[in-house]
Amino acid sequence: MSPLNNSDWYDLARQTNWTPRYVPEQELFPPELSDPYGIPASEWAKFDEPYKVTYRDYVRTQREKDVGAYSVKSAVDRVAFYKSADPGWKALLQLHFGAIPFVEYGSVSAFARMTRFGRGPGMRNMASFGTLDEIRHTQIQMYFGYEFLSVDSAFDWAQKAPNTDNWVVVSERHTFDDVEHTRDAVSAAIMTNFSFEQGFTNLQFIALSADAKRNGDHSFSAMLQTVQSDEARHSQIGEPLLEIMISNGKTAEAQRLIDISFWRVWKQFSALSGVCMDYYAPLAKREHSLKEFVDEFVCQQFVRNLKALGLQKPWYWDEHFLPDVETFHHAQHIGMYLYRKTGWWNPVAGVGPAEREWLEKKYPGWNDTYGQVWDVITESILGGNLDKTEPALLPMLCNMTGLELSGVAGKKWNVKAHHVDLNGRRYHFGSAVDKWIFELEPARYRSHLSIVDRFVAGLMPQGPDGVYQYMGMAPEERGRCGQNYQWAEAFRNLKAA
Amino acid sequence: MASFPLVCNYEGDYGMKLLVVDTGDTMDAVADQAKRALVGVVVRRPRTGAVLRVSRHGEHSPLPRDLKVGDANFVQMEAIDIYQVDS
Repeated sequence: MSPLNNSDWYDLARQTNWTPRYVPEQELFPPELSDPYGIPASEWAKFDEPYKVTYRDYVRTQREKDVGAYSVKSAVDRVAFYKSADPGWKALLQLHFGAIPFVEYGSVSAFARMTRFGRGPGMRNMASFGTLDEIRHTQIQMYFGYEFLSVDSAFDWAQKAPNTDNWVVVSERHTFDDVEHTRDAVSAAIMTNFSFEQGFTNLQFIALSADAKRNGDHSFSAMLQTVQSDEARHSQIGEPLLEIMISNGKTAEAQRLIDISFWRVWKQFSALSGVCMDYYAPLAKREHSLKEFVDEFVCQQFVRNLKALGLQKPWYWDEHFLPDVETFHHAQHIGMYLYRKTGWWNPVAGVGPAEREWLEKKYPGWNDTYGQVWDVITESILGGNLDKTEPALLPMLCNMTGLELSGVAGKKWNVKAHHVDLNGRRYHFGSAVDKWIFELEPARYRSHLSIVDRFVAGLMPQGPDGVYQYMGMAPEERGRCGQNYQWAEAFRNLKAA
Repeated sequence: MASFPLVCNYEGDYGMKLLVVDTGDTMDAVADQAKRALVGVVVRRPRTGAVLRVSRHGEHSPLPRDLKVGDANFVQMEAIDIYQVDS
């Protein structure tokens, strides 16, 4: 007797809704955890996910992915690769493995909540696979980072990061707590699966995977590709949800969720992927700039998805997002280098003569703006004034992103803070969009203190090491210039010539 | 006299900085503190003949040079611009 095709039974098998008898519907699916939009259960039953997989097929496919990724890992000497890797590539790996695993781990619980509180059976079905996906993503990224511990203690942060109040971690927690962990299942799914995963994970996982392959890091490349193949599946939760929202008159609500989460997640990826692509990835092996990758993966693909649903680009697209693509990460990179001791990774400057030429080509005007700051830093190093490469003043942080409140430097100096005064406290934001998000729900955000707020409030240990102690960073953990300032020597030679 | 936190936007810098001053400091003293902390770090020294002036962030009129922080009606974490004006 031949087995049934999946299509013969799949849709029926995942119809797991029932009419509760012992508790009211609202107790089983409290709106604040499930669906606060009042969409009837009969509408949620229409949730139809585009990619359907049986558990049996899921296990088989995931095992194949793991075998592929882990076998590449064991086939080459990972530690030897790392030891001989370009310092920029090391910085990239250190940053990635500290910043990403705990976010993946958080997504486990986010998907688990969607599994429990999603109203559509198909959504619960997909979210249960998503939960398993994120467990695998956490495990594989912690495991791959773990093997480098024997040669570099920075990878301790794959496990340590979420247990600290490091400024990067605080920034990430604020973003992903907002987007994934503190909203109902419908809102969290739209924000996480559509904006975050469909919008941006391709940047860090596909674009970076291509860079990794070119840099000879086949193991990292394979790992990233297997992670992204899962994202391609479970991120599809977002679109059917949006279709149901729109067909039930909730277009404005759906648009708002996207507008909020797209910006929040963009800021994180700009700082992470942007700095990695445009500064840490060795120049000879770069494929595209951040701007070029954003154009392909975000401006083309993501916008196509939005329009197919009948939604609009976020309101801030032209005036704020597009300019930000060309500026924000450049400023953040300067800060990450100058304040390198506050990070667990060893950043490279990535602004040697050839790199600056590339940056000017990809971002016309770079030398007159951010290049002006790097001129000063370069001169400090060449003059032997290394103390001048670490500012005595703390950077001001945006009260939404938790990242530096930055703008355009140098000859086109343009740094704007947008503020809100609430209950006797001044909040500063690095953009009108961050301010807009705050003003939508002040109660959600108002009690959070940035790292700088905590310093001003006297919440950190006293003394010059107080900030580091607060962030859980022993002296040996604090970042150093990944090239021991040797990058600046090229300019001494140029001057001599 | 007490410490007072300001947010400083220094001309040419890529971002803003926390600048903790004293309520008895004049605007000139505030500008000088920022200059000493940032020149040679992220920006070059001011051009010859230029004076550093302070204004509330985004406002075009500089504050009086001898105005003290304590008399300026600043709120905690007030943002200020520090920029060069040719004398």
